[in-house]
Parts: sequence; C-alpha cells; structure tokens
Amino acid sequence: MRPPFYSRYVIIALVLGLLGLGIVVQMVRINYSTSAQELIDKSANYQGLEETVYPARGTIFDRSGYILATNQIAYEVGIDLKFVTDPESIAFSAANLLDLDYAEVFEMASTPASDESENRYFVLASYVEEEKIIELQKLKDSYAERRAEQKTITPSLSGLVWTAMEQRSYPEGDLASNVLGFYNYFSRETAQGVYGVEEAYNRLLTGTPEEVFMPNDPYLVEELPKINPGASLVLTIDRDIQAMVQDELAKAIEWSGAEGGTIIVADPETGEILGMSSSPFFDPNKYWAYEETFPGPTPYNRAVGDAYEPGSVFKVITMAAALDAGLVEPTTTYTDSSGVYWVENTWPIYNWDGGAWGEQTMLGCMQHSLNVCLAHVAVDLLEEDLFYDYVQAFGFGRSTGIDLAGEANYPLRLPDNNQWVVLDLATNSFGQGIAVTPIQMVEAVSAIANDGKMMAPHIVRSVVDEGQQYNVAPQVISSPVSAEAARTLTDMLTVAMEEEASSALVEGYSLAGKTGTAEIPTELGYTSTQTNTSFVGWGPSDDPKFVVYVWLEKPTISKWGSEVAAPVFHDVVKKLVVLMKIPPDVIRHQLSSN
Amino acid sequence: MKKRLLQAHKQSPWRVQMQWIGLFLLGLVLVSAITGVYLSISAQAAAAGRNIQSLNYEINLINDEIADLTTDLAAAQSVEKMMKRAKELGFRMLDPNEAVYIEVPGLDPYAELELAPPRVNVLQETPLIQPTYKSSLWDWFVSNIWQVSAETTGGGN
Repeated sequence: MRPPFYSRYVIIALVLGLLGLGIVVQMVRINYSTSAQELIDKSANYQGLEETVYPARGTIFDRSGYILATNQIAYEVGIDLKFVTDPESIAFSAANLLDLDYAEVFEMASTPASDESENRYFVLASYVEEEKIIELQKLKDSYAERRAEQKTITPSLSGLVWTAMEQRSYPEGDLASNVLGFYNYFSRETAQGVYGVEEAYNRLLTGTPEEVFMPNDPYLVEELPKINPGASLVLTIDRDIQAMVQDELAKAIEWSGAEGGTIIVADPETGEILGMSSSPFFDPNKYWAYEETFPGPTPYNRAVGDAYEPGSVFKVITMAAALDAGLVEPTTTYTDSSGVYWVENTWPIYNWDGGAWGEQTMLGCMQHSLNVCLAHVAVDLLEEDLFYDYVQAFGFGRSTGIDLAGEANYPLRLPDNNQWVVLDLATNSFGQGIAVTPIQMVEAVSAIANDGKMMAPHIVRSVVDEGQQYNVAPQVISSPVSAEAARTLTDMLTVAMEEEASSALVEGYSLAGKTGTAEIPTELGYTSTQTNTSFVGWGPSDDPKFVVYVWLEKPTISKWGSEVAAPVFHDVVKKLVVLMKIPPDVIRHQLSSN
Repeated sequence: MKKRLLQAHKQSPWRVQMQWIGLFLLGLVLVSAITGVYLSISAQAAAAGRNIQSLNYEINLINDEIADLTTDLAAAQSVEKMMKRAKELGFRMLDPNEAVYIEVPGLDPYAELELAPPRVNVLQETPLIQPTYKSSLWDWFVSNIWQVSAETTGGGN
C-alpha cells in the first residue's frame, strides 16, 4: 500500500531532480563553451590586482651625510567614474585648485560610468603637491557636512581621488646639480637617471622592481614582500666646498663677462673630487627646463663633458716630463735671443707677448710662461716619442673613467698619424693643438701634487646597499713621473708664483700653480681674439691637500689667465683652506714639530 | 546458577521518540558548534586579512611621511638656508689668518661617513671531511644504485 500523497512526493522529487540536472548540465556547458575563457578572465579582474612595486630610489649624500638627492611624496589626482555624483563640483574644484580647464574636467567627469568604451578612470594631474591635496580634502569634507545638513546629494567631490606617488627631490636646489644629474620621474615606467651620478649609478639607485599580487579576497591577503630600496650613495663632494666653489664661479663669470666656466677641487692623495661646479647652473627639481638651460650642444657638466685647448697650464706636463727624463733641471738655461722658435725652419713659434726674454732658466721659462722655451724642450730635448709617451702616461687621449655620465674624450694626434707634423709637437708643448677636459688636467696635475702617483678621480665614496656599506678605496692609476721630479716641479712653480707676485697667492700659504691663456681655434686657425683662461694650482706646496682648477671661457674683462683665472683661484683657495681646516704654513709647521 | 532477566515489554513510544529527538539535537549541537567554530575562524582570518591590508597601507603612509619629513629636514638644513641664518646671526666667513688652530689628537674631520656596517664577505662553509667519508652504505646505495637505476629505467620525473 502506497503512503498518502505518494504521487505528489514523486512529482516534487522529479522536479527537484531535473532542476539539479539542469544546473549540472548548465555548469558543464558553460565550462566548455567558447566564452568560458572570457568569463575566467573577467573573474580574474575581481580577484585582485597585479601591481609593480617600485623600490624607493636610493638617497645621495655628500661626504658628511647631508642629503643631496632624496624622494618625497606627490600625488596623482584623477576621476573614478564609478563614484561621481556631481561633475560640476569636481570640475569647479579642479579648475580652482589644480589650474585645470573647467570644461575639459566637466566633460571627463560627466562620462557615463557604464560606458565601457570609455576609461573608468581619468588622470587629471600628476605630481600634485601635498598642500593642494590638503585643500582638496578640506573642500571634500566641507561638502560632506553641507550635504548632511541640507540632506541633498550635492555638492560632492565623490569620485575625485588621489594616490601617492614618489617624486625625486633635490633639497639643495641647484647645488652640485652638474655632478648629480637628474631623474626624469614623470613617467615611472621609463624613468631613469640622466647625466652625472644619477645616470652613472642608475641601476644601483633604482633597485629591483617586483611584481606583487594584491588579492581582494581577504583570505588570500599576505604581508607585502619586503622590497629593498635602491642603494644609497655617499659622494666625495663636500657640500660646503661645493657651495663655495659654485658661488665663486657664479661671481667670476659675472665679473669677467665669461661665457661659461668650471672650477674643480680635488684631493690629490685620493683622487676624491671635493667640489665641482660648471655653468650654466640648473635646478634638477625642474628638470623639464633642461633644454632651455642647455641649448644646443651646451655640455651638462663642462668639467667632464667639454674638451678644449688648455694653453699654458699644459706646460706643467711638458716640464714634468723633461725633469723626469733627466733632460733639464730647474737651473738649466735656454737663451731666447729673438723671441721666436723655428720648427724645422718652417713654422715660427712666438712668446705670448711676442718679445725675446734672453737667457732664462727652466724656472724662468715657467715663471714667464715662455712658449719658445717649452717648444725647445719638447722638440729638441724630449722629441716626439718621449714627449707623447709622457703625455699618454699622464692620461691624455683617454677617458679618466670618472664615475660621472657624459665624460668626453678627444683623441691625441700622435706621430704615427698621417696628419701629424713636428709643429704639433711644438704647439702641444704649451697646450695648443691638443684638446683636454678639465678633469683630465686635474687627474694629471694631481700626480705632480701627489709625489708622482696618479690617482683615479672619483665622485662616489661609499655605496650603502641592503644594510651594508661598501667604501670605495682610492686607486693608483700609474706613476707617470718620479716623486723627485714631481717635488722639483712643485718647488719650481711655488717659487715662480712667489717671484711673479701672482694674484693667485694666498697670504700664509705656499702654493704651486700655473696660469693658462689659450687662443680659441676657428676654421681659419687662431684668428679669434677670444681666449680660454685657466689656472691650475695646488697646496700647501710641501704637503699638498688640494688641487684647484679654474677655467673661464671667453672672458671679456681681459684675455689673460693671470688676470682672470688667477684671482678666482686666490678667492677659492682663501676660503678652501678654512673649510678644509688647513692652517697657514707657519702654524702647520709649529703644530707638526710639537 | 545465574538468573537471566528478560525484558518483557518494549520501551514506551514516547521514550523512543525522546531518544531520537535527543540524538538529533545532539547532532544539531555538534554541527552548530563546528559551524560556529568554522565561522569564527573564518571571520578571524578575514579580519586578519583586512588588518594586513590596512597595516600595509599604514606602512606605506608612514614610509611616505618619513620620506616627506626627511626631505623637509634636508631642505631646512640646506646650505642656502644655513648661510642665511648664519648671516642673520652676524656670522661671516673666517679669514684663515685670524683663526686659532688647536690640534686635536685622533680627530679626523674627513673620516669615512658610516651609514651602515661595512660589507661582510660571507664565506661558504666548506666541510673539513668530505660527505663521502661520512655516508653509510645505505646512503651510498640510495645515491648511486637507486638513482642510476631510476635514470636507466626512465623512472622519476
């Protein structure tokens, strides 16, 4: 006997069974349908976000730990259409606070959120300052209060959103900008260091970005992986010396009417660059103004990126070679009877004043900067093989390898070159017909100031990465001359400066140095009246702690290095000895004898 | 001889029903308890997940704030501002011949700046005794015979 309502139970069971079967069939059908992958992809969008987490770019410090380059937070402001209720208020506030076009913002904010052909998010402004975000937040809050009071849905900034983003910051403004370079952060994916340390150490500073999945499902959330920031750099630059050098260069350019210039201060014992300034001055916080500041081929850093004929400062190299080769001594004489030196009886070489200086010792030749004397030393005594061996040993004709981007190098014209003639040897001896960069001159002269040992010039002192510090050890590149020859030349130039009563002298300090005045070649030869004026000096003479190189391009106040560059050297050194805590010679000798 | 007692009557129906109801309620309580524990743990896991998200966000905010404050501090200590303050306070650049110099033994104004401990080279430890000398016959058998036979027979994946 069947229970009561049996047929009803059967019908209900059949209906439910069929319903379940229908669900199973539908599940199988969907899984094997052509749009299955599309649905899977769509669902993936709701699972979370795959984000690239960029490590913080490394900080750059000066040698004392002052920050030269770091990061700060700016904001990207955009419109998220899903939440927009009042396009007018959004457009009004964006126009007022972010200086945007009202109509343009209104049009974006009025886009229907359901319109999938349009982006659901619009970027309104990038790198907005925090102060403006605070104002926007205040406005948003005040609108919310007003809505609560009036019980309306407007005014509202709902949908106007902002997210934090990292921005490179140079708190010292234009200080050392020619050394630092800049970071073009505007497009994060393509951002990179440009020029200077920022470019040379870009990979280290950047660190390694990581792809991280940010799930929406709270069960899948995990702690974000620890992403190490980019390595930080400690530079050899002393910011006080840098500021002083930059200030002196700016004053010198204004005073002399020069087109540009550079000043380098280096430690000859280590090759560390303590200060390096180059015109024009540039604030890397506004790197987008780069093309206005550096029009055409203007180098970003003349100290490393501009080769020029150095003129008489190069006589230091010629004399060092002759002394080291034992071909001359300070007392060796040369008689300048006519004021002209004939190269192979064909090409005449004249002194800077066109005059004849009679019998001169090598000391006198350097003191009076006699071209004919140095041409004689190079052509008759050193001859081409020895001369160019020394020139190359001093690092000319190749890059110094300084850790800054954009180093220029002009190859030497050597005797094995078809275009080389003996006249080149004669003119090269006093710095004409040869192109060098200021950093090459500093590297070479540092060897003379450092007992013949040439140190690799460098700008980074330490690298701090993953909690460990790696200190860069000073490197000896070579010893182009003996310690004896280097000391002899230093003594010669010290005496020469004192006897000449050079305007480069600083009271209380013995200094060695040499002026340079170089005519600027044109397509027709040395026809221009404009010159490059320079001065290279080091001190204290008996224990050199610094090398200072000054180059002023095309000054209008005077064409002579002794009148333009030498006084600048004086001003720099007078402040430098205070900043480097170097006492006057008398006190220093007293202290060392105690 | 033991006496054997036999139940003469069935249990009354209400007792049987009560037993079934009791069993059902016991099952219900057990299921409820398990569900409650599961829900509680799930809720805690979800809350922890949200908490992690919130803490990650907070960490980012704090890092941003640190970066901003560091920049502000660096700007406040910039050469330009310090020089301005020094001038306002009546300081001027020292003439080297006016200065009084005192020798301070051991003071190196140009000592290396230490921002982190120096780099340590991590040496790979190399055992004094080669593993071969410490392996048992069984280890040797596993590492040589077994693996070789697995490779030759195509075993392993």
